[in-house]
Amino acid sequence: MRRATFILILCFILLGGGLMALSFAPATELELGPFFRFRPNRIAAMVLFLFAGFVGMAGMLSLSSACRRLTRGLSNVQNLGPLHRLPSPHPTLNPLVNAFNGVIASAEEEVAAARLRVKEIEIQLKVATAERQHAEAIIYSISDAVLVTDPFDEVVLANDSAARTFNFDLSRASRAPIHDVICDSTMISLIREMRKSDSRSGRRIVEHKVQTPSGERIYKVTLSCVAGREDTPAGVVAVLHDMTREKEVAEMKNDFVSNVSHELRTPLASIKAYAEMLIDGEASDDKTRTEFYEVIQNEANRLGRLIDNILNISRIESGLIKINKTPLSLMVLLKEAVEVILPQARQKQIEIVEQIAPAVDQTRADRDMLYESILNLLSNAVKYTPEGGTITVQTVVDESRKKIAARISDTGVGIPPKDLAFVFDKFYRAETNNRMAKGTGLGLSLVKHIIETVHHGRMFVESQVGKGSTFGFELDLVE
Amino acid sequence: MTGKTILVADDESHILSVVSLKLRNAGFRVVTARNGREALEAAQHEHPDLIITDYHMPELSGIELCRALKQEPATANIPAIMLTACGYSLEPHDTENSGILCMLSKPFSPRQLLAMVNEVLHVAAA
Repeated sequence: MRRATFILILCFILLGGGLMALSFAPATELELGPFFRFRPNRIAAMVLFLFAGFVGMAGMLSLSSACRRLTRGLSNVQNLGPLHRLPSPHPTLNPLVNAFNGVIASAEEEVAAARLRVKEIEIQLKVATAERQHAEAIIYSISDAVLVTDPFDEVVLANDSAARTFNFDLSRASRAPIHDVICDSTMISLIREMRKSDSRSGRRIVEHKVQTPSGERIYKVTLSCVAGREDTPAGVVAVLHDMTREKEVAEMKNDFVSNVSHELRTPLASIKAYAEMLIDGEASDDKTRTEFYEVIQNEANRLGRLIDNILNISRIESGLIKINKTPLSLMVLLKEAVEVILPQARQKQIEIVEQIAPAVDQTRADRDMLYESILNLLSNAVKYTPEGGTITVQTVVDESRKKIAARISDTGVGIPPKDLAFVFDKFYRAETNNRMAKGTGLGLSLVKHIIETVHHGRMFVESQVGKGSTFGFELDLVE
Repeated sequence: MTGKTILVADDESHILSVVSLKLRNAGFRVVTARNGREALEAAQHEHPDLIITDYHMPELSGIELCRALKQEPATANIPAIMLTACGYSLEPHDTENSGILCMLSKPFSPRQLLAMVNEVLHVAAA
């Protein structure tokens, strides 16, 4: 600043000196030849003016150069690093550069603060993304179908299970209107109704049948509204729990209780009726009375067997049954069972043919349980064989595989192919057999449990409708 | 002897025997059948005054038997008592158009059954 003032004052002094020189009237003129006459004061003024002009011009040039450097410096300001300051190109411009450097420093502070905020936001975004991914992972891992829609009924989130249930492409579902994603009009209505109800406190649970690619399934649909900011409705969450199997099991249990109740009541009815007849003296002679006592005893035994069946299945399934395996002859066991079943077979004029090999081959088994299984198979054969039929009891020894098999073949009604795969399922009864004889649907299930779970053997069945069935099992031979 | 004929149908031979004996001792003529089909033929042939039938039977159930009898004019008016081991009461629509007047749950008392038989025959005769 001082230099600029000095130049300015110098210019003014020189200009003033020049003006003063012009104002003097010189006494003489200088003659330089015949054509050139000069007054000395004018020459002095001209020299002063020229000098002032030169000084002014030099100052202007210096300032102009400084301005150019400043402009260059300013244009590079965005490339400057932190704490960088513009150098002053000219003392004249020092205040301007200082002020500008102040602005830069302030801007730098703001930029640093902004960068800090950006970092914080980036961290928050990462945390939010991670939380969202975590929530999505949870939702995707849920076996129940989950559908989340926004206030415009567009799908915000859906999991694999939902895609499978409603048969849509998960990658195209996001942000698509719900009616473009699923075809189930009832489900769409349920979501819309829930959104309109704006019920943020309550949930709605409905049972809904869905036609899935794998057939019709029953779902428990739980619908709830999601509250957004300021408690405004943000959409609807629909969770679909597949209860098809639960329904089937509940139905099976009902059928089971009904069947068991029926089976318990039948022998009980005989016991009660015969006991009452004895009390009332309706049995006229000793022979009849003895018959009545025997009926009561047999029916009581039948009741006991039924209860044992139920309990045994329950115990085997829960792993609580006590197993007592000893070496025994399957042939002896088969013969004993045949003797027991013979009276029932004779009632229906059914012939029992024994093709049982001599009792040399031993197997290791729980005697009572194996006996129960054989009796169950024989009893079934009698039940499902029409009068005058034949039941063949056979043993087959396979020395090379160290196996022994028991086969019980009948000339009964047979089992339709569609039912054959399910005959060992608990509570399952083939429709045709249901009409032929009564049962709990427990017997074959118990036999399979005893052979395969308890004795690690193999159960098998072969059948032809109208020709008969062969039920059997294979066990290990012991030396 | 009452001279009345009663058809008893049950696939449980013990129940069939005990009911038959109770009714015979009470003076009734008893015809027995071991399944629904046999019972239908016996009813068409014997024209009994009353039918006592089990609910669950092979070939034809008790309800199907009674409905089949109701279809034919000759057997349409035979009253029926149903024995059931279901353990629950049947709904009115289950026994609709079947001529079943009473139901008795197993286990039952033969005395109670006889009283029911007399009641039904008395009402039918009135």
